[in-house]
Amino acid sequence: MQGPLIDTLARRGVTRRTFFKYCATLASLMALPPSAGRAMAEAMAAAPAASRRPSVIWLPFQECTGCTESITRSHSPSIEGLIFDAISLDYQETLMAAAGHQAEEALHHAMKENEGKYLLIVDGSIPLGLDGAYSCIAGKTNLEALKEAAKGAAAIVAMGSCAAFGGIPKANPNPTGAVSVSDIIKDKPIINIPGCPPIPVVMTGVLAHYLTFGTVPELDKLGRPKAFYGETIHDRCYRRPFYDQGKFAKTFDDEGARKGWCLFELGCKGPVTYNACATVKWNAGTSWPVESGHGCLGCSEPDFWDGGGFYRALSRPADPLKMAATAAAVGAAAGVAITFANRAKKSSAKAAHETVTLADLEK
Amino acid sequence: MSLEDIRVVVDAGESSPYQADALSGNAPVLLRELAEHVRQLMAAGEPTAIDLNALPLTPADLDWLKATLGEGEISVTLHSDGESTLAETACPGVWWVTHHNESGHVVSRFIEVAFVPELVKAHPEDVKTGLEYLESLIFDLS
Ligand code: SF4
Repeated sequence: MQGPLIDTLARRGVTRRTFFKYCATLASLMALPPSAGRAMAEAMAAAPAASRRPSVIWLPFQECTGCTESITRSHSPSIEGLIFDAISLDYQETLMAAAGHQAEEALHHAMKENEGKYLLIVDGSIPLGLDGAYSCIAGKTNLEALKEAAKGAAAIVAMGSCAAFGGIPKANPNPTGAVSVSDIIKDKPIINIPGCPPIPVVMTGVLAHYLTFGTVPELDKLGRPKAFYGETIHDRCYRRPFYDQGKFAKTFDDEGARKGWCLFELGCKGPVTYNACATVKWNAGTSWPVESGHGCLGCSEPDFWDGGGFYRALSRPADPLKMAATAAAVGAAAGVAITFANRAKKSSAKAAHETVTLADLEK
Repeated sequence: MSLEDIRVVVDAGESSPYQADALSGNAPVLLRELAEHVRQLMAAGEPTAIDLNALPLTPADLDWLKATLGEGEISVTLHSDGESTLAETACPGVWWVTHHNESGHVVSRFIEVAFVPELVKAHPEDVKTGLEYLESLIFDLS
């Protein structure tokens, strides 16, 4: 395990063991098999991070800056922050020192210099109403700016539910005619990182993947990285055993609520929401909505604002017996473990008990 | 009705809002999986790890598992970016590994099946740096 990134980290007092520990944890967060940590560490260490920093351009459209807030709050100083150092963030209105003409110049310079190679990050939706007049930057509509910047991008990251699915601006009755990035751009790889806001480490994870393999991670049918959005909140919820036993809180202050029973009947959208909150948690791993006693709102799913009420229970229990049935089957087959119950549907399942190679990860 | 009339009950489970003593029944099967991994270690020398955060285990399950596996003779503490402990259980070759971040939160948890966990071993590159340092110490003597 040797390379520019390791050297950079070493210069900042981050030891090999620290880096290795970080990669083991990142692999766990990305729901990769434990042995993938080592593979990632090796690949990332060897990435030509110090010599050729990939250019990243970040365009904000119709948004609330919550996504930027979330990312910059990834607890610092951390290795995640150092991985951010491995990229060159050439344009980010909120964070950059330059303003006005200088800023625009930086943008166009970066676009020309790195044509065909830069990573474009977009947060916010794109309004199409009134010819896009609802949101303009430097006299250009968001639509024009997006098309221009997308042309030379290697890939696009749609950060947050607004860029990925239209988000709050698109909620009924959608006064500005807001649409998502993928509604407009059809000829570039687009990685959707929904969430309102998304979890910081998901962003870092995707960047780490990009640095490691130079490719877009495996995506689900809604364009989300499977590593983080491969399972529902419900699949990984620590209250799941209560759901399986049919123990539900009926109000926010009853006995069930105090005992930490399942919040399904209080409107939890965990069963239909794909995101990593249950494992990654929020605020440097402090807690997450269900742990603080409130059901999941489903913020990483399309049109979650129009889902009919945050406190209305989902109409149909999703697979109430799935977990119990799997557990029973596993108990019967000696030597096979519940590791499979959770990982069975993932492509990484077969690797969970084998040595993982880079080729396994890179798909 | 005054405020005092409203009964306040605080359930066990100290810092966490859920019932700490609730076993889900998911932990015992892990013992069988571990046995399989230990057999593999002996037969092929192949280390493995189980990611405990990836499994639907309650805090009580984890406590049960930890207590059942017991404590072994050796335990290693790593001080880097928060503390990590790698403790051998009463079953040699089975290690309970906990990584904390700088604010003391558990960030990941594994059971490793290995003769020595990879993290404990010194990397050849680091040994090389160490040798250089050692040589500079010797140089300073003269
Ligand atoms: S319904 Fe919600 S609270 Fe209940 S187990 Fe599923 S995710 Fe957890």
